[in-house]
Amino acid sequence: MTVQARSLVQITAPRQTGPTLLDRMRRSSLLMAILAPLAILIVWECLTRVGLLDQRFFPAPSSIIVSLFALVESGRVFIDAAWTIGRMLVGFVFGAVPGIVFGIMLGLSPTVRAFLQPVIAALYPVPKIALFPLIMMIFGIGEASKWAIVAIAVFFQVFYSTLAGVVNIDRIYLDVASNFKATRWQLCRTIAIPGALPFIFTGCQLGIGMALVIVVIAENFGTQVGLGYLIWQSWQVFEVRDMFVYLLMVSLLGYGSQMAILRLQRAVIPWKKDDAG
Amino acid sequence: MSSDPSTTLDRTGLSPPAFPKIRVRGLGKRFQVGKAWVEAIKAIDLDVQAGEFICIVGPSGCGKTTLLRILADLEAPTEGEVTIEQSDPSNPLSSMIFQESSILPWMSIRRNVAYGLELRGVPAAEIDKSVDRFLALTGLDRFADAYPHQLSGGMKQRASVARAFANNPEILLMDEPFAALDEQNKALLQEELLRIWSETRKTVIFITHSIDEALVLGDRVIVMSRRPGRLKTEFKIDFPRPRRVYDLKANPEFGRIGREIWTLLREEVVGP
Repeated sequence: MTVQARSLVQITAPRQTGPTLLDRMRRSSLLMAILAPLAILIVWECLTRVGLLDQRFFPAPSSIIVSLFALVESGRVFIDAAWTIGRMLVGFVFGAVPGIVFGIMLGLSPTVRAFLQPVIAALYPVPKIALFPLIMMIFGIGEASKWAIVAIAVFFQVFYSTLAGVVNIDRIYLDVASNFKATRWQLCRTIAIPGALPFIFTGCQLGIGMALVIVVIAENFGTQVGLGYLIWQSWQVFEVRDMFVYLLMVSLLGYGSQMAILRLQRAVIPWKKDDAG
Repeated sequence: MSSDPSTTLDRTGLSPPAFPKIRVRGLGKRFQVGKAWVEAIKAIDLDVQAGEFICIVGPSGCGKTTLLRILADLEAPTEGEVTIEQSDPSNPLSSMIFQESSILPWMSIRRNVAYGLELRGVPAAEIDKSVDRFLALTGLDRFADAYPHQLSGGMKQRASVARAFANNPEILLMDEPFAALDEQNKALLQEELLRIWSETRKTVIFITHSIDEALVLGDRVIVMSRRPGRLKTEFKIDFPRPRRVYDLKANPEFGRIGREIWTLLREEVVGP
């Protein structure tokens, strides 16, 4: 007896052809990444040329580039950028280190957590910049107050991330440490810190972003240097083209610091399965 | 632990010759679940001789793991006492091999296996020697510098076995270590475990829900009742060693004891 097949479904490999130019463009992530900003700049340029955008607030990108070259040539912006970076970094370290230490302490000990968390939780919702006048009264209007306000803002981000990281460590690893009779410090070093490290880095990324926000605002007070100061300064003299250049530099600084932390994270966490992005 | 008078886990330095390696008397553990108290295990008496391989089988939820966690000093009993004879005070009392993967993801396999020794501050040369030995015995020497995420589940459990043995404890406690593995890996790891055990002659308490596994591995198989877990019956398993998993399973005696244990367990699982 033969059974007649009603229909045959055939699956064949698609014909192999070389990638077209469009394919290659789609695959180039760098190209895709700059396409959208480029389009925005072109539209912006056109809109100012035809007078639909007010040149006083949105000067043509071409004119901003002219200002950029002038400022870069004078070299002053780099000194100001260095000041801003310095303030960010000092404040970041003073905030992140206690953030990690307290995060781990509260994460590992329910007693310490019960004791300190209400205080920290009560302070957290206060907008950090609202503390700046008080900080300036305590530390003066110089560098110390800027470091302090950045440190406070960074602390909360890093602290809460670290705490979440430690609390979320799989219980089995704590059992392992306990079964191998780890001391408190060994538990920190071999389980809590490495286990929470991915969360700690997330906290650091949030923290460095916050540091930039705070430092740019704080540089309006008691200083003559820094990108934040320059932005406020160009507002006072209504130099909008320069302001856009400084804004561009702040944004590059933000992007660069995020990238730096991501790089550090990849170097420090070799056991993570995949590095997305 | 030994300095705390309230604990019932004693270290006894001196022991008469007949004294067992592990002596459990009247051990019980109650948990509070909401407002109710649940008895996990009850009135457990057990003697384990040095170098013995004991398998405990029981229905799930019978308190097997609780018993093991008390022996590992991860939990305190609510009644009774455990005495473990410590032959060498410089060795740790127990190492546990857990059911789920407990290999630390942030350490290489080599550092995972060295973990217990490193925590105890054993000299580096001695650590290397011991770690190399057990990496070789578990067939992990080629993966010493890999991270756990690069290894299969079977490999990770091999590393757990190596870590526990390398720590050179007085007793080894194993909580269904091969339960999550596929059949082939399970058989391979059972044979490897037997080989390592025959080389080191450690005292082992091995918990499993698999009757076959208990028969393959143990000198004695102890059947636990359903909750609250008590030790119900014990079987002496005399199959000659070294044992090979599938040779043993072909033995009619294996089937006979297996059925006898299943009859007992069945009563516990479904009721008489």
